[in-house]
Amino acid sequence: MNGIHDMGGMEGFGPVKPEPNEPPFHSAWEARSLALNRAMSYAKIWNIDRSRAAIEEMPPHDYLTMSYYDKWALRLEKLLIEYGLVGADEVAAGHSLHHPKPIERTLAAADVNKALTRGSYSRPATTTARFKAGDRVRTKNIHPRTHTRLPRYARGRAGIIECVRGHHVFPDSVAIGQGENPQWLYTVLFEARELWGEAADPTLSVSIEAWEPYLEPT
Amino acid sequence: MLGVTLPASTKIRVWDSTAETRFIVLPMRPAATEGWEEERLATLVTRDCMIGTGLPRRPGGVAT
Repeated sequence: MNGIHDMGGMEGFGPVKPEPNEPPFHSAWEARSLALNRAMSYAKIWNIDRSRAAIEEMPPHDYLTMSYYDKWALRLEKLLIEYGLVGADEVAAGHSLHHPKPIERTLAAADVNKALTRGSYSRPATTTARFKAGDRVRTKNIHPRTHTRLPRYARGRAGIIECVRGHHVFPDSVAIGQGENPQWLYTVLFEARELWGEAADPTLSVSIEAWEPYLEPT
Repeated sequence: MLGVTLPASTKIRVWDSTAETRFIVLPMRPAATEGWEEERLATLVTRDCMIGTGLPRRPGGVAT
């Protein structure tokens, strides 16, 4: 989806001004937003890619003006409704109105560390990698209406395979309920001039991690 | 814009972490820190060092 989240190369946002002595949370609800999101990730009703897509689908105005944990809280509401765990009427009312739908994996205090540990997205290889380090490739010029991890600035660009990272869950499939569909994953290196034109900094190069379906040989 | 200025001779490499692969940034060790203990070296490391957008503080100096 060509959404507001895909900001690579956009300008005009001004300097990044880190907050001095930034606390982990600015108020208790932010911690709660994190905890609720993590607890529901642990429940495995949806996956990380659907979860990212839910934020990417936010209206651009909201995306640009809401705080980090505001977006997390809204994302949670949206997914809970989408997966039938909470009714929109219940969110509006602020309390339960219907008989709750049971979930199999509920997060207990003893499992919190497990819930905060990243899972692995590597899957056993079922095919031979099409490319090897040093191969010249071109990214496809794709504009799916659904979730993708190929940034706009790197579409239709010539680069070099720098590293084969293994066989990984394919976000473009798993985010839309089409299964993990694992694919080979590569680090693809681009010269800045290929991405940003002749005036680009000659000392700059940029890499992305790209799944095989994003790439074609040149 | 993160306000870091690098000499023209420094090669810049951007790693856009578009997959679940994660990278660790190792801040470059400043000159004149030979023989420093880990704890003392850590005093030179800033938040920006750890995300690859800043250089470590110079010994006895301020962050650059």
